[in-house]
Amino acid sequence: MKDIEARVTYEDNALIYSGDLLLPVVSQLYEDTLAILKGLSAFEIQIDLSLVRQIDTAGSAFLDEVKSYGLQMGMEAEIINVPESISKTLSTFSQKVDKQFLEQKERQRPWLERIGNWLDKRDHEVLEFITLIADTFYFGIAHAFKKEGSRKGEFVNQCILIGMNALPIVGLVSFLIGFILALQSAAQLRQFGASIYVADLIAVAMTREMGPLITAIMIAGRSGSAITSEIATMVVTEETDALKSMGLNPVKYILVPKFYAITMTMPMLTILSMILGILGALVIGYTYLNIGVQPFIDQVANVLIMKDIVTGLIKSIIFAWLIVIVAAYFGFRVKGGAEGVGRVTTASVVVSIFAVIFADSILGLIFYFGQDVVTY
Amino acid sequence: MIMKIASKSTVLVSTQDLCAGYGEEQILYDVSMEACKHEITAILGTSGCGKTTLLKNLIRLFQPWSGSVKIFNEEITDMDEPELNAILARVGVLFQYGALLNSITVAENVAIPLRQHTDLSESMIERLVRIKLDLVEMGHTLSKLPSELSGGMRKRAALARAIALDPPLLFCDEPTSGLDPMTSADLDHLILRMRDDLGISIVVVSHHVASIDRIADKIIFLDNGRVLFQGSLKEAKSAGIKQIDEFFRNG
Ligand SMILES: Nc1ncnc2c1ncn2[C@@H]1O[C@H](COP(=O)(O)OP(=O)(O)O)[C@@H](O)[C@H]1O
Ligand SMILES: [Mg+2]
Repeated sequence: MKDIEARVTYEDNALIYSGDLLLPVVSQLYEDTLAILKGLSAFEIQIDLSLVRQIDTAGSAFLDEVKSYGLQMGMEAEIINVPESISKTLSTFSQKVDKQFLEQKERQRPWLERIGNWLDKRDHEVLEFITLIADTFYFGIAHAFKKEGSRKGEFVNQCILIGMNALPIVGLVSFLIGFILALQSAAQLRQFGASIYVADLIAVAMTREMGPLITAIMIAGRSGSAITSEIATMVVTEETDALKSMGLNPVKYILVPKFYAITMTMPMLTILSMILGILGALVIGYTYLNIGVQPFIDQVANVLIMKDIVTGLIKSIIFAWLIVIVAAYFGFRVKGGAEGVGRVTTASVVVSIFAVIFADSILGLIFYFGQDVVTY
Repeated sequence: MIMKIASKSTVLVSTQDLCAGYGEEQILYDVSMEACKHEITAILGTSGCGKTTLLKNLIRLFQPWSGSVKIFNEEITDMDEPELNAILARVGVLFQYGALLNSITVAENVAIPLRQHTDLSESMIERLVRIKLDLVEMGHTLSKLPSELSGGMRKRAALARAIALDPPLLFCDEPTSGLDPMTSADLDHLILRMRDDLGISIVVVSHHVASIDRIADKIIFLDNGRVLFQGSLKEAKSAGIKQIDEFFRNG
């Protein structure tokens, strides 16, 4: 195979190209050309192609690029002496490069206009989001006892998918987190001879914060993503259109059973998480701090008040709603085909985990800010 | 011209100056068309010209920007949901890829409209589902999941679902797209049977010339969201319109 080579020289107000204007060499050629052009101060130059042997689409795009660069520098470039052998390719692939085109490309909208535009678009999305929330709660509450328009057995099915199947992983993760938290705090507390307070610490942390939070994050990752991709797939394959055409409301048909299921199972999973987290701490207490099982449990029972558990459960329900609505929102707004499904699924998980943590801070403030510091 | 056709037979679907699109992007421009009783009206045009968009605006899966859409002589663009659903109960829709719900069986899919729009007993529903599936020669797939069916079978099952309520009007979006020639021909015969044996009027979207030749009574030719021609298939071929000639030559 012959080597591909191309060269550019400058002579008499003309860039003279020779050789092969092919993909492997154009980027080097572009640099060489720019080096020449930078030293020039002409208004018009010619691009002489008489010595060019071959050209491909990259070569043709390259010439356009040179022309447009010239224009930006205030030079009109004209192509001359096009050999017969390359004229077809050139005329097929070369694009129109002129001042107008460049101006269009350059024109940046003023920043205020851009912000306005952005807000305008978001406006629509916010409206969609609110409509979705309204629909979900409307169908969820008003139609709770009407069977028509929803899927038989779907609620139980969803409870199994969202709740039962998540039991092992939520349990395991909670146990490990309780275990690790206890381990880390034990070392500190032991210094003060206050080992027994590991029980208090973990009990309060698990019920108020970690239990609901761990569960919500696990469920957002597991079920939130599943809900988004299921709905998005249905949108893409026109299943939602088919439902509408048969007089069924997709939110009601698809989402409401999931809404019930997640509202039911999240608090249960959260309680499990609380218990297993404390259990993890108990294991550390027993093996590492020599606290007996009974004293540990007594200590936990002592420190926990109803409010801790109730706020934990309220949180878990709010997180559940956040997860299911964010998941559905992203699912319904999918654009494009299969790759769109992947995109919205990722977005949904990221946003719902963020929403959960954000809501957790707000709820923490509401429930506990300004409360008297508990003394023992 | 519209009056002339209307006087010959009953118009079931019509639009007047329909404009529609997605977001800011307009797809349909002043579309005026009609489809008559006991006829197969084919909406044709190249890919991306707005056929599916027109179909979806006809049954208000999208809200048209402006213009009028009438089904069974009733204006549907400003109907509220219950009214629209009452109309849709008398309309079957076959979507491009069937759009069967993937998580439930074929039989359950066909049963959806029956459960939604009637108070029939469970055994009646079962019986009807079997009748419809037998009609499209899919009786053996009752308890299969859609994912276990081939493309052609999926469309048949979806057709069974579309005619579950014996609608007088059926919309089909590209019934033969993605099918081999034999399967396409089978499906076309099925569509012809719908018209001849069941008296269903059909609006079918297609870009498949062989199929159009087999089934279309009337055609509506869309080009970039505008109606270029409307009339019988024969007239279309002899009208000497460049885009239409090209369409039939290259299809
Ligand atoms: N949901 C949608 N959102 C935005 N644009 C769409 C959507 N569906 C279709 N389009 C665009 O509308 C145009 C017409 O599409 P369509 O009606 O599906 O064409 P056809 O069915 O004739 O092939 C295409 O340019 C397509 O990209
Ligand atoms: Mg289409």
